[in-house]
Amino acid sequence: MLARLKGKWTYFVIAALLLFLILIPFRWFLGQYTVIMIFIGLFTMVTVGLCLLLGYTGQVSLGQAAFYGTGAYISAVLSKICGVNPWLSMLIAAAATGAFAYVIGYPIFRLRGNYLAVATLGLGVIVYILLRQLGPGGPDGMAGIPYLSIGGFVFDTSFKRYFLVWFFCLAVLLISQNIVRSRTGRALRAIHGSEAAAESIGINVDQFKVKIFVLSAVYASLAGSLLAHQMSHISPGSFGPLVSVIIIVMAVIGGLASIWGAIFGAATVCILKYELLLGFGEWDIVIYGLILMLVTIFMPEGLFVRLRELFGQWRLRYAQRGAEP
Amino acid sequence: MSESILETKSLSKAFGGLVALDKVDLAVEAGKITAIIGPNGAGKTTLFNLVTGVYPASDGEILFQGTPLKDTPPHRRAALGIARTFQNVLLFGNMTVLENIMTGQHPRSRYGFLGAALRLPRAHREEETISLNAMKYLNMVGLGTYATQNALSLPLGQQKLLAIARALATEPQLLLLDEPGAGLNKLEKQELSDLIRRIRENGISVILVEHDMPLVMGLAEWVVVLDSGQKIAEGTAAQIQKDQRVIAAYLGEEVE
Repeated sequence: MLARLKGKWTYFVIAALLLFLILIPFRWFLGQYTVIMIFIGLFTMVTVGLCLLLGYTGQVSLGQAAFYGTGAYISAVLSKICGVNPWLSMLIAAAATGAFAYVIGYPIFRLRGNYLAVATLGLGVIVYILLRQLGPGGPDGMAGIPYLSIGGFVFDTSFKRYFLVWFFCLAVLLISQNIVRSRTGRALRAIHGSEAAAESIGINVDQFKVKIFVLSAVYASLAGSLLAHQMSHISPGSFGPLVSVIIIVMAVIGGLASIWGAIFGAATVCILKYELLLGFGEWDIVIYGLILMLVTIFMPEGLFVRLRELFGQWRLRYAQRGAEP
Repeated sequence: MSESILETKSLSKAFGGLVALDKVDLAVEAGKITAIIGPNGAGKTTLFNLVTGVYPASDGEILFQGTPLKDTPPHRRAALGIARTFQNVLLFGNMTVLENIMTGQHPRSRYGFLGAALRLPRAHREEETISLNAMKYLNMVGLGTYATQNALSLPLGQQKLLAIARALATEPQLLLLDEPGAGLNKLEKQELSDLIRRIRENGISVILVEHDMPLVMGLAEWVVVLDSGQKIAEGTAAQIQKDQRVIAAYLGEEVE
């Protein structure tokens, strides 16, 4: 009985959230936040990849912005300079970024812990410098990247792009959720739990690490491509090492081992960045650092996960009180 | 002697200058319970680590069911049918009891990222088999009521049973148990003995490394004694208990 009620309650909450999400970009509702919501969607995609890698598999990456950047730049260069269809550019970017992650994955995952962190940080710095030096437009980046379109329908307004981005974002979240609750998800968590034990029960530890790294890179690349085709202007600054750190902050706030927490983490940081801390200029990174420290000290399981636990406890207490005559 | 499931030929392992295992020849009979005993530092766990491929042998070879395991990586050996437990248990603390065992089914299931991501029908079918089998092993070790608890919330005795269940879930032909009795009380040891016998009755060969002599002597059909990396004796429990060299190794006497 309780389980059935709980099931209904969950569906109701999901339906309500979905309706809310659909209504946000309408001008009479929260239309002024459409652009921020687009960024939340994009960063959620990148953050989910990091959650799978760091939260579930226990492998840190301080270079996720690099894949976000290669996705954006490959997509932009192909569609603008080579005249390739934007959708195809996006696909090629994802494949190329995935292949790149695969190639560097095997050597990089011979490292563990802090060494892995430093190596991935180095990856982020290298890609950032390459984009600055070799990318079209150098540090200023490139403009005039074509919009995505389906038939004659061009995604040329924020209102339209909002739905495009959130379609991809929810797809990525659902796929990740499915992966986590599967044989593959258990293998990833086993690697986090104990690599020796994981190997002893037949899990190919190296291969799984590389595969999840590739998946996280593809997520980031897709987000990068969507960014390029919707901003129509990109510059290396959007993909620098500090962005990788911000992605870590998002993942930590969301709770590393929580797929849906990624939205919460991305939303918190984006709202801070684009609304609340606008007056701070470049000092906003100090606030993120502070948040990162406080969350890891007081709520190592993540702000989102902690809040969900508290809500669960509150509901339990409420239900018990209701049951008493 | 009947067919052996595991053979080592002149197996050696040196860590730098330290010889942990020195030209050990073993033939472990299929379908039996074999114990490996010896003082601390005799090379028992090293032997397990070589058999499971944690590190490569310095010299010699290992044959599993007649095929050499030269460069086979550990995860492939698990798929071939070698399972093990660890001295320090090494459960997955980020999972429930049942999930730990379900993870053990990894080499007996196939679907991967794509099947999982898109929830293909095949993934669904396999997942059903996995949870059914996991429940079977869970009940076999008597932890059925703890299925949804976190693995590390169990007391040590039950954690060790869970580790055995996880190893059994890989559906091995050979099960290596590294000090399964350490830290258990008398009752738990009794349950452990019963479980190991039941495992053997299911046709799985068992090798155990153990310090608890009553446990070893009650269970093992064949006992191998290692000392300082060398095999110094083997035989039935009764023979070993009378062997002068074994007594010397344990009590530190000189052998004339």
